[in-house]
Amino acid sequence: MWTYEKRLQFPVKITKTCPKTAQLIISQYGGPDGELSASMRYLSQRYTMPVKAVGGLLTDIGTEELAHMEIICAMVYQLTKDLTIEEAKTAGFDAYYIDHTSGLWPQAAAGVPFTALEFQSKGDALADLTEDLAAEQKARTVYDNLLRMITDPEVREPLRFLRAREIVHFQRFGEALEKTKERLDQKDYYFYNPEFDKQMTPRV
Amino acid sequence: MEHHLAVASVPIQPWGQIYDSQTALKRGTIFQDLDMPFYAADDGGAAGCCLGVSGGSDPQQQERERLMLDISQVCFTVDDLRLYLDTHPQDVQALGMLKDHLAQRRQLLAEFAQRFYPLTMDCMAECGQREPGACYCWQEGPMPWEGACV
Repeated sequence: MWTYEKRLQFPVKITKTCPKTAQLIISQYGGPDGELSASMRYLSQRYTMPVKAVGGLLTDIGTEELAHMEIICAMVYQLTKDLTIEEAKTAGFDAYYIDHTSGLWPQAAAGVPFTALEFQSKGDALADLTEDLAAEQKARTVYDNLLRMITDPEVREPLRFLRAREIVHFQRFGEALEKTKERLDQKDYYFYNPEFDKQMTPRV
Repeated sequence: MEHHLAVASVPIQPWGQIYDSQTALKRGTIFQDLDMPFYAADDGGAAGCCLGVSGGSDPQQQERERLMLDISQVCFTVDDLRLYLDTHPQDVQALGMLKDHLAQRRQLLAEFAQRFYPLTMDCMAECGQREPGACYCWQEGPMPWEGACV
């Protein structure tokens, strides 16, 4: 069950139309390391986690990622809501405009549609948590790259906030990995899969 | 921590210096130890165009924006503490701080609902007190993506 709160986690108030910037930022909506991919990854992986607290952490971070998706969408929306056809033509937004006008649709900056192939749910806690650590790093790199290119302070501020969250989430997934390792055979972490070989896993 | 071959390790974060709610929202974390800015984007926290109150000359609008900002700040501290407590459930200091901020959150959300519009369905109860018999107000106020209170 989820409930909706009618506010953004970080405020977005963008006053200048800029379809070019929207076209770059949209990658963090539907791109390979975007917020949609992040939330679906964590909210899919959580069910079979052998450590209950790690399933709880995945729920909470997955939920926060949904709020980040909303921040990114709000930015794309505000950057294109007053779009003229001339701006759509000249700013490299023309191809997107043809298919979606100024509606929101999850895609990468280069136009590749959102796909579940961007993430894994492997049913193996060490594999999944190691992916989650990498996912946070990759998302941070995208924010770094966006921050190098975009100059509008109204756009940079939410991007900087979102980048900072990737680092916090990395730390939490690292701690979740340590908690999971405590339950495994310290001499051979790969002796069994704690999500599948349940008879070997101490229940907590 | 004992180190092992062929598996990733991340040190467990100890409780450290904590930012106040205003600074935390600006920096993207309540934890000074996790505040690791990117050189091409670090202005030492000088920026703040999204975290101010514009409102123009309308005092009602200014009040609404100020209260919304308080809510964003307090709720963000709750968000960051929750993740910390997920991996540090025994930390009494963090738990005390969480409870304190949750109480502030509840009070601010109720105040916002009484004076302006409800941000959560639970706050609908508060709206009823304003105008007994008033109609359904869940759809009142701007949508969040419209620029919060703009």
